[in-house]
Amino acid sequence: MSDEQGTPADQPLISEFASDPDMIEIVEYFVEELPKRVAAIRSAVTDSDAQSLKTLAHQLKGAAPGYGFTVIGEAAGVLEASLRVSDGSIEGVMGQVEDLASLCQRVRIR
Amino acid sequence: MTIGAAQPNDNVPIVLVIDDCVDVHRLLAARLRNEALELVCETSGEAGIERVHQIEPSLVLLDLDMPGMDGFEVLRRLKDETSTSDVPVIVLSGMQSPSDKVTAFDLGAVDYITKPFDLMELRVRIRSALKMRHLIQMLAQRAQIDGLTGLWNRAHFDERWADETKRAERSGSPLSLAVFDLDHFKQVNDTYGHPAGDTVLQGVARLIQNIARQADIACRYGGEEFAIIMPDTTPEHAINLCERIRVAIIEADWHGKPGQRITISAGVAGSTGQTSIGRAEWIEVADRNLYRSKSEGRNRASMTDVGSKGPRLADAG
Ligand SMILES: [Mg+2]
Repeated sequence: MSDEQGTPADQPLISEFASDPDMIEIVEYFVEELPKRVAAIRSAVTDSDAQSLKTLAHQLKGAAPGYGFTVIGEAAGVLEASLRVSDGSIEGVMGQVEDLASLCQRVRIR
Repeated sequence: MTIGAAQPNDNVPIVLVIDDCVDVHRLLAARLRNEALELVCETSGEAGIERVHQIEPSLVLLDLDMPGMDGFEVLRRLKDETSTSDVPVIVLSGMQSPSDKVTAFDLGAVDYITKPFDLMELRVRIRSALKMRHLIQMLAQRAQIDGLTGLWNRAHFDERWADETKRAERSGSPLSLAVFDLDHFKQVNDTYGHPAGDTVLQGVARLIQNIARQADIACRYGGEEFAIIMPDTTPEHAINLCERIRVAIIEADWHGKPGQRITISAGVAGSTGQTSIGRAEWIEVADRNLYRSKSEGRNRASMTDVGSKGPRLADAG
């Protein structure tokens, strides 16, 4: 995912609806709340709470595209699907958790 | 006035969202901000169903994938219940599975919208569902209005009489029924012709409608017969109202069409709150009073309190 100079992985991730006046207010809300969602995902990992992790991934999968962050929705969907096949094992989905978290880290309002 | 209540409701339609995800509530509120509708949101199937009963929304937007009671079950329950089965439901589906959509249609959904929402699609589907709802309601209402007089028709009377008698029985509140019949109407038709007869029916209907109150249900019961269902009205109040109608009709000026005074006879059967009378028998008692008014010389109203033991007869007019 990363290489040396000006990598996509370092670029800010902006909502597809960033210029939609109807949407800007709730997109901002989503962006401001996003670190909390990531923190909740991280603590589910720490607690080895696969059930909560799955719920959080499911919610983010559903919510993110609506705010114009399709890729985050997809990454959350991948995590949710991986949890289903990993049969409750958190270690097996750490890669997907990190992918999702690093995407979320790049999110900016504008 | 009854007909006021019969006009299609021009209030802003209420759209109820049932989705466990509050993000969806927020997104819909933002997306539909400029639409002529009021959005109400619930996060569970159970709470959603309760809300439908409470606010009678014009449209439900229903998530399929919810913890606890899912959207399919909500849909099934809404459709199973007569009072909610007519509310149109659009399914919100995050799942791409076509079989879910088919199931939702089988269960009675009118449409589906896929999440994440496409703005234009969302708006046109909601508008079209609301428009359809409006037209269906208008047609249903028209089917219950008498074409000549604009009053409710007999079919509506039967429906409302069943509803109101049940309601009065449950709540123990007063309820009265008044039936009217124009005096010597055949003679009016024979002497002045049917157009004059129609003018009389329309004029009498207008007077009845003007004097009846907001909650009264004024109906054309038959040819020259009218009826008013008066919820929360004691027989004493009911006969007063009949008296005002009777006086208004005899005082009406028909401007030569027909060239004679018109009178009306009335019969009232009403309960002050406690009654064991059946609803068919209740109508018979009102009818008997009407014929008593006729036999005692017409242009009068007679009344029975069906709530008290041993029907008590009283007169006015
Ligand atoms: Mg859901």
